[in-house]
Amino acid sequence: MSGNNYSDDEALVKAARHGELAAFEELVFRHRDQIYARAFSMTRNEEDAVDLSQEAWIKGWQRLKQFQGESSFTTWMTRIVINLCLDHLRKQKRQRADSIEEMDDESGGVERQMPVVTVNPTAGLERAELRKKIDAALGQLSAEHRTILVLHEFEDMEYKEIAKTVGCSMGTVMSRLFYARRKMAMLLANVRKDI
Amino acid sequence: MNEAQQLKLQALLDGELPEREAREILAWTQRDGAAAALLAELKNTRQALAKSEPHLSVSESREFYWSKIEREIQRLEPRATSATGFSILARLRRRLLPASALATVVIAGMIAHFNAPQAVVENVADADATSVETTLANSDATTYRDANEGTTLVWFSPAVDDSPANNNIPAAIN
Repeated sequence: MSGNNYSDDEALVKAARHGELAAFEELVFRHRDQIYARAFSMTRNEEDAVDLSQEAWIKGWQRLKQFQGESSFTTWMTRIVINLCLDHLRKQKRQRADSIEEMDDESGGVERQMPVVTVNPTAGLERAELRKKIDAALGQLSAEHRTILVLHEFEDMEYKEIAKTVGCSMGTVMSRLFYARRKMAMLLANVRKDI
Repeated sequence: MNEAQQLKLQALLDGELPEREAREILAWTQRDGAAAALLAELKNTRQALAKSEPHLSVSESREFYWSKIEREIQRLEPRATSATGFSILARLRRRLLPASALATVVIAGMIAHFNAPQAVVENVADADATSVETTLANSDATTYRDANEGTTLVWFSPAVDDSPANNNIPAAIN
């Protein structure tokens, strides 16, 4: 990179905004796993996650001049990949035929009947083991429920912000989050493995 | 417990309730065992998820992953990107252009100032020795020739490009 030694993202972003592709490449190298991980947590498909994360970087390059530094560069990039994933999931949903199973996902009728898990199912688990269980459980949620859960728990978004990002009402956010949590509790407790 | 009550419990956990309502719901959980149990389950799930997001890495190599991004960027805006050296040179050139144009105008002006009065006064009757002519039909350039001094001054006045940096750029030819 022309002998430059960039220690922080700010300098790299500044250089990239002036057209230095090498600086942008370094940003991609530093944060590609984080952006990919967010795409995967939302789509649960490795190939889609790679494609969407790369698309996010391309959009990031094109919109660099709009990045004013109000948030960190990775937060800004994460928002881009989240929006791309939401578009991707919407397209997938449109392509899917409506089904009774999907209607249940929306209403959360099944989860309302589930008994409360009275013991902490993750108590005493090693962090690595817990992560593995959480990953497996996330994979069994519907895209609608998983999206809300990821935005709330991993992105620390409030109900209002999620509603705006996803394009639904706050009531829908609360409902989906509730059922996603209940399903996760059941999955983590291994009460029902095939929900 | 109805759905609205369940969602209120969750909102309490997430800190999304107004203070007064939060106090009411909290008091309710202390009276109602089922509400307390559901609140505990929601809390456990939330704690399990907190800071436990699975760590994932791109399986592709850095070069392979970047190559697609780079190709697409180059395809979308082939001339917007550049290597560092070129970009610095280009920026320097852009900044120096107006200054160099101004310097040329000043130098030509000084030459004209020191030469022209003498040439005009001494040679005003001598059309062969000193002449001013418009060389192009649309007045793009004017030539001032002083035969005695052996000086030719060409004055460019671009008719189409009216940017300040390109206006009235004279060139002295000896």
